[in-house]
Amino acid sequence: MDSAPVREAVRRLEADGFAAVEAYAKRGRSRKFELGPAGKLVTTSEEAGWAVRAGDQHSSFFAAGTGSIEAVEPDHQWPQGEGRPLRLPGPSVSRAWSPGSDLDAPMLVEHEALAMLESIRAELGREIPGAQLLRAVLEEGSSDSVISNSRGVHAKTKGRVATLYLEVAGSGRDNLTATRYLAVREARNFRCKSLVQHLANELFVRRDAKSGSRDRGEFLLASEVGVRLLEGLLPLLIGRDAVDVATRLEDRQGRIGSSLVTVVDDGGLAGGVLEAAVDGEGTPTKRMTLIEAGRYHQPLTPWWEASEKRLPSGCVGRASWRDLPKAGPTHLFLLPDPSVSVSSLVGAVSRGYYLLGCEGPGSFDLSEDRFSLPVWGFVLRQGKSVEPLSGSRLEGRIGALLRGIQAVGRDLMFAPLYGMIGCPSMLVTGVELRSVGS
Amino acid sequence: MYCRIEVKSDSATVVMKQFYVVPFSGLDTVSIARSLAQVADRDGDHVDAYLERCEEITLLPEGQSPGICVREQEGLALRLVRGKSSWIAARDRIDATSFESALRQASRTSPVVFYPLPEMTLRRFPRCVDVPELYAFSELLDRAILGLHAAFPYQLTLVRHRRWSQVIGTQLTAASQREFFYSCVIELPWARYGQVLPEIDEVAAQRLARGVQALFKASTAPPVEPREGPVVLGSSATAVLLHEVVAHALEADTLALGGAVSAARGVELGSKCLNVLDDPSGAPPGIDRAFDDEGEPVLRRWLLREGVVDQPLVDLYHSRGSESLIAGAARRDSRYSSPVPRSTFLEMLPGEESLEDLLKAADGGLYLPEASGGRLHPQSGSFTLDFPYARQIRSGGELGEFSSGCRVEGTVSAILSSIRGIGRSVETAGAGWCAKGGQKFAVFAAAPATQIDSVKVIG
Repeated sequence: MDSAPVREAVRRLEADGFAAVEAYAKRGRSRKFELGPAGKLVTTSEEAGWAVRAGDQHSSFFAAGTGSIEAVEPDHQWPQGEGRPLRLPGPSVSRAWSPGSDLDAPMLVEHEALAMLESIRAELGREIPGAQLLRAVLEEGSSDSVISNSRGVHAKTKGRVATLYLEVAGSGRDNLTATRYLAVREARNFRCKSLVQHLANELFVRRDAKSGSRDRGEFLLASEVGVRLLEGLLPLLIGRDAVDVATRLEDRQGRIGSSLVTVVDDGGLAGGVLEAAVDGEGTPTKRMTLIEAGRYHQPLTPWWEASEKRLPSGCVGRASWRDLPKAGPTHLFLLPDPSVSVSSLVGAVSRGYYLLGCEGPGSFDLSEDRFSLPVWGFVLRQGKSVEPLSGSRLEGRIGALLRGIQAVGRDLMFAPLYGMIGCPSMLVTGVELRSVGS
Repeated sequence: MYCRIEVKSDSATVVMKQFYVVPFSGLDTVSIARSLAQVADRDGDHVDAYLERCEEITLLPEGQSPGICVREQEGLALRLVRGKSSWIAARDRIDATSFESALRQASRTSPVVFYPLPEMTLRRFPRCVDVPELYAFSELLDRAILGLHAAFPYQLTLVRHRRWSQVIGTQLTAASQREFFYSCVIELPWARYGQVLPEIDEVAAQRLARGVQALFKASTAPPVEPREGPVVLGSSATAVLLHEVVAHALEADTLALGGAVSAARGVELGSKCLNVLDDPSGAPPGIDRAFDDEGEPVLRRWLLREGVVDQPLVDLYHSRGSESLIAGAARRDSRYSSPVPRSTFLEMLPGEESLEDLLKAADGGLYLPEASGGRLHPQSGSFTLDFPYARQIRSGGELGEFSSGCRVEGTVSAILSSIRGIGRSVETAGAGWCAKGGQKFAVFAAAPATQIDSVKVIG
C-alpha cells in the first residue's frame, strides 16, 4: 500500500493550519462463509477506508470515511474541533520485523471453506447423533495499513486473521447449546475435529451432570477457564487505576500471585494473530512483563501515560479505520511452563475438579477482592474423572486465586476477547466451588 | 439536497429536525436493474443491489481529545439468492466499476458481456457536520438533572445516526429509505446508562435524568430478594420485553429452528389482552420507513392478535413458497451483512388501566420501570431480562424503597400468559440496540406499562 497519499494528507491538513495531524489508511479484503438458518451464505468484501485526527492549540476532531484517502476532496469540510488539543506520539525505533509468509498465503476459496463447515456438521453428527449445527461462520481476511503523523511517525503494517464461530445444540429435549469462537492467522489452521469434540464434550457433560455442592480442593483449570479469569482481571493490568488495584491485592511480601504467575503482553508475538511491529498509532510494539514471578511490575501503558516508572507498552489498538485508537492488550498471556504436560497435571489431582469451560460470563469485583465464574467439567479422584459437573460456580478471593496457582501447563491457548488473551492449564487451590442456586 | 435543523436561539430547546435529501439521485436504476436481470438466469433466482450512505457524529464527553468524531461511509452490495444459497459481494464505493466487479463476484461468473455499465455518479455526500442539537441536548440534560435537585458527576457521549439506503431489484426499485435517530451513553461512577432516542428534546432529557437519578438511588440500595411474584413493567421495560419475547420469538429465522415458520400462525402464545404489532411505517419521523432492506413494502404486521400469533416477522427467503407468510420485515445493519427478519417499530395496543391501578394489583411485588437488556434462548423458549433497578410495591400500590439491579427469567409462553393488566398510557421510546446474530440495529417501540401476575425474579 502506497504511503505517499497518507503523507500528503498530513501535509495538506498542516497547511490548513492544524498543528497536530495524523492520517491513517487501511485497505483489506475478506470472505465470510456461513451455514445457518437461512442456508449457505458467502460474503466477499473489499474494504477501504481512512481516518484523520487533527487539532490546534484548543481542540481536535476525528474524521473517517470510506474509499481511498487521496479521493478526499481538497475542499473537504472538516468538523469544527471540540474538546482538548490532540497529542500525538513522536517517532521511535521499532524492532526489526518482517511479515510472515503466511500473511500473503491465499485465503480459502468457496468450496474449501464450505467443505470445512460441512465437515464440522458431519463430525458433530458422528459425535452426537441428532445434534444440530445451528450456526457456523468462518471468516478470513487480510489488510494493509499506513499511518503517518505530523511528528514524524510513518509506518506500514499488514494483518491477517481468520475467525470461526460455532453454535451447536444437543440432541435431547434438554435444549442445551454450546458455542465456540476462535481466531488464528490462517483458516487452514483450524483443527475442526478437536473443536467439535470439545463442543460435544460440553454438551454431554452438561446434559448428564449434577451441580456440585460447596467444596474446596484442587482445581485444574483448562485454558478456556484461565482465559476467562485473565479477562476478568484486566482492570489489574490496564488503566489508570490498575496500580491501585494491584497494591490492594498485594500480600505482606509484596506479592500479587504465586511464583508461577508471570503475565506478559506482546504486540509483536511471533505467529500471533495480531502480530505487528507497530501499534495503531505507529509506535513500536514491545514485549512487556506486567507481573513477574508473582510480583507486579506495571500495567499496560500507552505512551501518553508513560513515566520513568511506567514504560510505554506500544499497546494502542485500532479495531478498524472507523475506530479511535484505544489502549488495550494485544497478546496478553500467562506464561506457560514448557516442562509440564496437561496429563501430568490431571494425574496430580488427588481430590478435586477438572474445570473445562464456562457456562456464562463471570463477575469480578476487584475492589471487594471477589470473583465468581460459572463452570462445567469433571470431578477428579486420584487423577481420574468420576462424574460430570455443571451448574456450579468457581468462587473466591482474587488474591487467593492468584497466590493459589500451584502449577501451570505448557498448553498456552489464546481466545479473541479484548485483544487476544491466552492462558495455559493451571492447577489452583484456595478457591471454592458452589452450586449456582446457592 | 439540504439538511435543516432548527434550534431555538437560547439553545435550550431543540425544536425539530427536518431532513430533505436525495442521496441517490443520479442513479440509472433502469440500467442497474437490467444488469441484475442478466444474473438472475434461473427459475427462482433473486438478485438485488443494496446501496447505503451513512453518517455518524459523536460528541464525546467534555474534555476528551478528540472531542468530536465524524464517520461517513458509503458502499454497495450485490446479492444473488439461489435455492438455499446466497452470495453477497460488498464494496466501499458506489460507482460503476465497483458495481461491475461486485456483480461478477456475487454471480460467480468469469467475465461475461454485461450491458453497458450503468450511470452511478452520485452527488457528494450530504454533509452536515454541524450538530447544534447535540450541544443543546447536553445543556438540556444538565438542567433536567439539576431540576431533580440532584448533582453527581457523569460523562455523556451523544451520537447522531443518519443512514440512507436504496434497494434495486430486477423488476422493481423501491423508494430510497432514510433513518435518523440519536443514541447516548451516560457513564456514572457506579453504572453505565444507555438509550436510543428518536428525538433529543426536553422530554427525552427529563426521561434520561430520571433514569440516572434512579440509578443513583439504587447504587446504595440493597439487592432484590429472590422471589416469584407479581411485577409491573414500565413502558420502557415493556418495550424491551416485547422485543425479546415477542419479536425475537416470532422472527422467521428463530421459528425455522423448530420447523415450518407458517406453523406458528394461530398458536396461542399469550393472554387475550395482548395485541402486538410491528409497524415500521407508523414509527416516529426519522425511523419510519415504507420499504424494508430487501425493497419489499412494509406492512402494519399483527404479531399477536388477542394473544394469538398472526403474522411472524418474515423476509423474502422465508416467505418463498408460502402463501400465508408476507415478506417486508428484512433488515440489514450494513452492506456487509445479509438481510434478516427483524422488527423495526413495535406497538402494543393500550389497555384501560392507569399505572396506579396496575401497581395496586401487584401488591407486594416489584415495579421495574426500565430494562437494561435481555436475551431469548430460541431452543428452549426461555428468556432473561435485566433491570438496572427496582422499586418495591407497598400495599395499596404505593411505590416504596429502591433496590439494586435484578434479573427476571422464565419462558415466553409463561410470561405472555401471565400478563394481566395493560396500561392506557403509551410511551414511544427506544427499546435499545439489538445484536442478535451479530447484526446491530436500533429498535423502537410504543408500549404501555404492563402488570404480570407471577414471574421469577433473581437478585
